[in-house]
Amino acid sequence: MTGTLPQDPRPWPTRREAALKNATMRRTVGEVTRRLAEGRRRALADYPEGQVKLQRAQVAKRQAVARWQTLWSELQAAVTAHGGTPHFAATAAEAVALVRQIARQYAVRRVIKSKSMVTEELELTQALAQDGIVVLETDLGEYIIQLAGEKPSHILGPAIHRNRAQIAELFREDAAQHGLLPPSSDAYEALTEYARRRLREEFLAADMGITGGNFLVAETGTLVLITNEGNADMTTTLPRVLVSVVGLEKLVATWDDLLDIVQQPALSGVGRRLSTYTTLVHGPRGPGVAEGPEAWHLILLDNGRSALHGTPYEEVLTCLRCAACLNVCPVFRQVGGHAYGSVYSGPIGIVETPLLTDFRILPELPSALCTVCHACAEACPMAIDLPAHIIRLRQEKVRRKLVPTAHRWSIRQWAAQWRTPAGYRRTIRWARLAQRWYRRGDRLEGAPGMAAGWFQSRSMPPVASPTFREWWAARPESAGRALR
Amino acid sequence: MSKVQLFVTCLVDLFRPEAGIAAVQVLERAGVTVEFPEAQTCCGQFSYNAGFKPEAAALARHWVATFESTEGPIVALSGSCAAMVIHSYPALLAEDAQERGEPEAAAARWRERAAAVAQRVWEWSQWVRDHVPPLAGPKPAPGPVVACHLGCHMRRLLKETQAPRAVLEDRGVAVREPVHAEECCGFGGTYSMTEPVVSTALADAKLTALDALRAEGAVCLTGADLGCLLHLEGRWRRRGVTFPVRYLAEVVDAAETGHWQDFSPPSAPLSPPRSQARS
Repeated sequence: MTGTLPQDPRPWPTRREAALKNATMRRTVGEVTRRLAEGRRRALADYPEGQVKLQRAQVAKRQAVARWQTLWSELQAAVTAHGGTPHFAATAAEAVALVRQIARQYAVRRVIKSKSMVTEELELTQALAQDGIVVLETDLGEYIIQLAGEKPSHILGPAIHRNRAQIAELFREDAAQHGLLPPSSDAYEALTEYARRRLREEFLAADMGITGGNFLVAETGTLVLITNEGNADMTTTLPRVLVSVVGLEKLVATWDDLLDIVQQPALSGVGRRLSTYTTLVHGPRGPGVAEGPEAWHLILLDNGRSALHGTPYEEVLTCLRCAACLNVCPVFRQVGGHAYGSVYSGPIGIVETPLLTDFRILPELPSALCTVCHACAEACPMAIDLPAHIIRLRQEKVRRKLVPTAHRWSIRQWAAQWRTPAGYRRTIRWARLAQRWYRRGDRLEGAPGMAAGWFQSRSMPPVASPTFREWWAARPESAGRALR
Repeated sequence: MSKVQLFVTCLVDLFRPEAGIAAVQVLERAGVTVEFPEAQTCCGQFSYNAGFKPEAAALARHWVATFESTEGPIVALSGSCAAMVIHSYPALLAEDAQERGEPEAAAARWRERAAAVAQRVWEWSQWVRDHVPPLAGPKPAPGPVVACHLGCHMRRLLKETQAPRAVLEDRGVAVREPVHAEECCGFGGTYSMTEPVVSTALADAKLTALDALRAEGAVCLTGADLGCLLHLEGRWRRRGVTFPVRYLAEVVDAAETGHWQDFSPPSAPLSPPRSQARS
C-alpha cells in the first residue's frame, strides 16, 4: 500500500529561491556537512578492520529486509513475553490513531520525545497537540528546531542549518517566555547547559515518552536506540508510559547481526566508532526489572515500505539514516534540507519520498536535486546504489509523463536524429541556421526549447566550422588514415 | 606500431574541435595511428541520465555497432562518456532489448556485445599516460601552472584521478586542483538545462574555488570532460571573465610544441556577476 508523507506546500522554485537567498544557512550547511564527511573519511581510514564487519552488516540488513515478516512474528512473541504490547500500523494514519488512543488510555498530558524521523513522517507532535497534549523534543537539535517552529533539515542533525548565534537567540527568547535564567553566553557549554537545565524538568514531569528506533532485534525482542546525548535513556525510563514507533525496515535477526550493524551509523554519519549512548529497551518494568515504564507499546510502521519488497528498490530499505549521503551531496550543500520539502532530504530523500508515496508528492525531487555525481553511492555504508535508483525514478517519471512535454519532445528528436550519421549531420545544418539568431560575437547567448535553460546563466561557443569530423574528412591524409 | 580508435564525443566534435585535433596530434606525434570511425555520433548519456531509456538505448546501439567493427583500443575524449559505455551500456542494452520484446537470448547478446566493446575503452589521458612517453628533450622550467577540474564520473566511475595530472606533469606542466576538488561543478548533462539555477549555484561555488588558482598564476583551466569545461567557461563568460579554458589534450599539445601563445592570462580581474540565473 502507498504511504503518506508530509510535504512543504511551497512549490520547488519558491523553496529553492528561499534556500539560495539564505547565505547564513548555505555557509553553515556547507561547513557542517564537509566536516562530517571528512570525519567519516578519517574514521574509515583509521579502521580498516571494520571493513569485514561492514560487509557482513550489508548482507545482514539485506536479508532482514527481505524476511521482515518472519522477523516481525518472532519479535512480537518476544516483546509480548517481556510484557510489552506490539502493534502494526499499515499507514501513517493508523499509527497516529494508535498513539492518540494510547495517550487517552493512560490519561497522558505531557510527552517527551527522543529524536525520531518516523514520527516526523507521521507529524505525530502536531496530532498530539490537537488533543491538548504538550510534546517536547529532547534531542538538542530537535529541541532547537521545535523552538524555531521548523522541521528537521537533516536526518541526523536536524538543526545543522542554524549557527550558534541563532540558537543562542532562540534560547534567550525561550528563557524570557518561561521566566528562566537565559544562557550565560553564546558559548557551546553555556547553550548546552541551558538546554540541559530546561529539559531536565520536562523529563521529570512527563507522563509518556515517545521514541523511534534504530534497530529491533527479533531474537530477543529488543529495541535499540543510539544517541549522542543520552536523552533516549531518560525518555525510555522516566515517564510511566513508553511508545516506540519503528519502521519495519529496522528489524534485524540476531545480536550477532546487530553487533556488525550498530557501529555503522556513527562511523558513516559522524566519523566515530560508536554513538555516545546505546539504549536498549527490553520491556516495561516488572518482576526482576526495577527500572523502566509501566507499559511499553511498540508500533511497527509500514507506510509504503513493504510495497518496495521484490522491486529493484528493495535495498533502499536498508538505509540506516546515517546521512552520509546528505553530507557529501553537492546539491544538499547548496540548498540545505528544507528546500527538498520532504521529511527525508538529500539523495536518500529524493529516492524515498517518491517511492514511499508513489510520486503523489514532490515528484520534482529525483530530477531537480541531483546532478548524478555519484558522491552518495561512494559514501553509503549500506552500498545502496542511489544514482541508479535516481535514474530509474527519472525513467518512471518519463513513463508517467511527469516531465515537461518540451523536454520529452527535445530528447526524442535528439535521439531520433542522432541514431544515424546522416541525422547527426542534418542537425548540424539546422543548428548552424538557428544559431544566427542567437549569436553575439564569438558566443551563443540563447537557444530554443530545452537548451534555453542553459542560457539563463551561461553562454556557449557556437557550433564550430569546421566540426572535428569535417576537419578530419578534409585533411590531406583523409579517408580516415593517418599519414604514416 | 599501435593504433587507436578515436571516440571524439559529440561535444568535442561540435563545440571544441580543437580538442579533438590536439588529441590526434599528440597521438600521431608519438607514432600512434589514429582512426576515426566517422559514423559515430553520441553515447546517449544525456538521455540516459535524464531518464529517457529507449532514446539512450537507440544511441547506445548505434555506438556499439559503430565501434565493434573496429580494432584496437578506443580512446574517449571524455571520462564521463567512457564511463557511460563501460558502466551503463551492458545493462542498458540488455534491458532495452527485453523491454522491446526481444527474446532473452537477444538481450544477452546485446549485453555481451556491449561488454566486449566496453573492454576496449579508455579515457584519453589514461591511454596516453600508459602508451605515449613525453618527447625527449628538456622540459620547460619552471613549467606553466594549470588549474585542473576532474569530472565526477572520471573520478568515481572510472576511479581515475591521476592520469590527467601524470600526462601534464610528464611534460613539465604544473597541475593544481581547486579546494573541494571532488565536489561536482553542477553540469550534470541535461541537468544544466532543466535545473539551471542549482546548476549555476554549483558552478559559482566551483569558480570561487578556481579563483584562488587564477590568483596563483594558472594559465588556464583544463580537464578531461568538455561538458564541465563548457559549463564553467560559459558561466565565466556570462560574468565577463575571459580566462582561458582548454581541454586536456590542448594543454598537452601546447606543452609538446611550446605553443602557449593563446593561453594569455585574463585581461581583467574577476568582475561581479553581470547576470543572475532566472528561475
